[in-house]
Amino acid sequence: MMKRRLLHLAAATALSALTLGTTLAEAAGVLTIGRREDSSTFDPIKTAQNIDFWVFANVYDVLVRVDKTGTKLEPGLAESWTVSDDGLTYTLTMRDAKFSDGSPITSEDAAYSLQRIRDDEGSLWSDSYQVISDMKTPDEKTLVITLSEASAPFLSSLAMPGASIISKAGMEEMGPEAYAEKPIASGAFMVDDWLRGDRVILAKNPEFWEADRVSLDGVEWISIPDDNTRMLKIEAGELDAAIFVPFSRIEQLEQNPDLKVHLDPSTREDHLLINHEHGELSKKEVRQALDLAIDKQAVVDAVTFGIGEVAYSYVPKGALYHYADNLKRPYDPEKAKQMLADAGAEGMTLDYLVNAGDEVDEQIAILLQQQLAQAGVTVNLIKMDPSQTWDMLVAGDYDLSVMYWTNDILDPDQKTTFVLGHDANMNYMTRYNNETVKQLVADARVEMDPAKREEMYVELQKTAKDDVNWIDLYYSPYRNVSRANIEGFYQNPLGRFFLEDTVKN
Amino acid sequence: MTAILRTGTGRTGFRLSFGGGPLPLYLGGAIILGWFVLALLAPVVAPYDPIYQDVAARLQPPSLAHWFGTDNFGRDILSRVIWSARIDLQIALFGVVFPFIIGTVLGSCAGYFGGWIDTILMRIIDVVLAFPFLVLMMAIIVILKPGLSSFYVAMALVGWVSYARLVRAQILVIKSSDFVVAATSLGYSHSRIMFRHLLPNAILGSVVFSMSDAVLVLLNGAAISYLGLGVQPPTAEWGIMIAEGQSFITSAWWITTFPGIAIVTLAMGFSLLADGLGEKLGVRE
Repeated sequence: MMKRRLLHLAAATALSALTLGTTLAEAAGVLTIGRREDSSTFDPIKTAQNIDFWVFANVYDVLVRVDKTGTKLEPGLAESWTVSDDGLTYTLTMRDAKFSDGSPITSEDAAYSLQRIRDDEGSLWSDSYQVISDMKTPDEKTLVITLSEASAPFLSSLAMPGASIISKAGMEEMGPEAYAEKPIASGAFMVDDWLRGDRVILAKNPEFWEADRVSLDGVEWISIPDDNTRMLKIEAGELDAAIFVPFSRIEQLEQNPDLKVHLDPSTREDHLLINHEHGELSKKEVRQALDLAIDKQAVVDAVTFGIGEVAYSYVPKGALYHYADNLKRPYDPEKAKQMLADAGAEGMTLDYLVNAGDEVDEQIAILLQQQLAQAGVTVNLIKMDPSQTWDMLVAGDYDLSVMYWTNDILDPDQKTTFVLGHDANMNYMTRYNNETVKQLVADARVEMDPAKREEMYVELQKTAKDDVNWIDLYYSPYRNVSRANIEGFYQNPLGRFFLEDTVKN
Repeated sequence: MTAILRTGTGRTGFRLSFGGGPLPLYLGGAIILGWFVLALLAPVVAPYDPIYQDVAARLQPPSLAHWFGTDNFGRDILSRVIWSARIDLQIALFGVVFPFIIGTVLGSCAGYFGGWIDTILMRIIDVVLAFPFLVLMMAIIVILKPGLSSFYVAMALVGWVSYARLVRAQILVIKSSDFVVAATSLGYSHSRIMFRHLLPNAILGSVVFSMSDAVLVLLNGAAISYLGLGVQPPTAEWGIMIAEGQSFITSAWWITTFPGIAIVTLAMGFSLLADGLGEKLGVRE
């Protein structure tokens, strides 16, 4: 009996200490951000997910950064750099900076980080860094990178979160698994604790070279999967900020004087994947007809509540080399029907793969099913758990499916390679096949004259549209919300949050 | 008259009691009949096509043109609620009939023959009951392929146990009655004794239970559709309507509220009917 009471008492004390702790911390400036999912790793090379990238953009620094507008490169851990005339040798000078454990960040660490993303078996990005043929570190501050061929996007690729600078000594001592749990930070914040499935707790990194710039004492990324709950929590003041605001709630939240809704320009493009290997879908005319049968404006109106914008090129609006005059196929179900009949594909039945539980995905599916029905196309919705849909896309077990892409680097080469470059991913699972395009993608990568390069990308955008590699649906901004007392909560077009500039009043 | 809501145990969930009498019977019957007529006349009474999307008229609150408002695709909620009644009544019917038949046959065999048949069947029942009901249903449906027919199969595979237990218990009680002993000594066949003498007396409890079971089946059907495993879009069904409207619950209450009310009324109808029927037939669960 006594024992039990003691236990209760202990629990109560612990609980009150805990609550007190939170209150105190909050008063001192910890920013709590609600999001849909929890992080999956802190190993920069082993993820391609935004959910991870967005957190470690503030835990790690990169050699070259992308600025706030998402259009220019600026110095990061590399203070300055020079490129040889043939475009093959990059000489970077490192600035005086320290890891969170107090050790200096040297060119050795930078070389190690790049070598890892290029050579490590678990790296998801090795293809993009194969162009690095050699790296030398003549002294602690100098990194000389030699490329096997000139590469226009190379500098931009150094700014990718996957190429974050990690501590060589730390990684070798801790091993990749322990490092992925609690890394040695090179950025504004370090990982204080990670409660898997619940939250990532970051604390200010006092050793960060720009520590003066950081006002927050810490950041908590809290996973709250349900959209409604997350929004109710920010409305109630239980969160300082929340990301992934559902389109349907934006208008209402904007009217709340306690909140600031941020619609920051993004590079996000949602599109309808088409499996080019399946029956009639291999015919260009059939794909064009599908494009004509889809009313993108209705998708923008009904699903994004007018916040998105009809898409017409795979290079998103606002991104480098975006072609504003690309063909915008009108909505014309009658003509679509005619074209399908001419191509001998009338009364076609298609399997449409839907991510079950994804509100926007399901809404688009129901809309498109109805629209395609008017062109005489029967669409079977196949709802699958998101953990399965990816594998099904890779295996080609689908006819149609909605996906999206946000750029990770400034240069269009990355997305172009994934989408049109006939890469290992079968052109983003579409199985699109066009040898001319393949060659053009390769040529554009090594073309160093910006004007010529732009021409090539315009050509690529036109051809992709004509071939209907996929159907462009809409562009949409990042949708975030913060309490009115939070200042400088901003996401740049590549998805990086500038938490080093965020202030909690 | 006061209505007392009491929470029951077991699968029924809740029951509404008016202190006996035929009123619940008539009231429940009237509600179900009302829905049945609406479902039958859906093409006539529903003002709009339930799957027609008018994006320009989306998220409109209840008005004269759209009595129950419109959803996020501009579909008329009233029409969808009416058309849904067809699916949901079908769910309540098929979701009860198959388990009823299977359960009654197996349960009476177990009760009548006893011995190893009884032992095996009762162990199977124990195994089925050991799983949480909804989880087992979902597992079966996912294995088969999400859809309404899979729901019926899952319902039949899982739901029969309640009927089997009920019938078996009744058979055990009346097996030793004089008229059964008489029939046995007259040398009647097993099937004649089972179906002509035992079942008509043992089945009343199941009939009453099936009415309250319909409530559960209905709610389950809606829940399964809500989870995306039952009725598939764009078909209108109350559970799926609530699921689709959930994200708008704070901005457009009408999308979820009206199908919710529809489920409650139909469930209440079955519940009242079960109560009234039980009273009238003198059966208490």
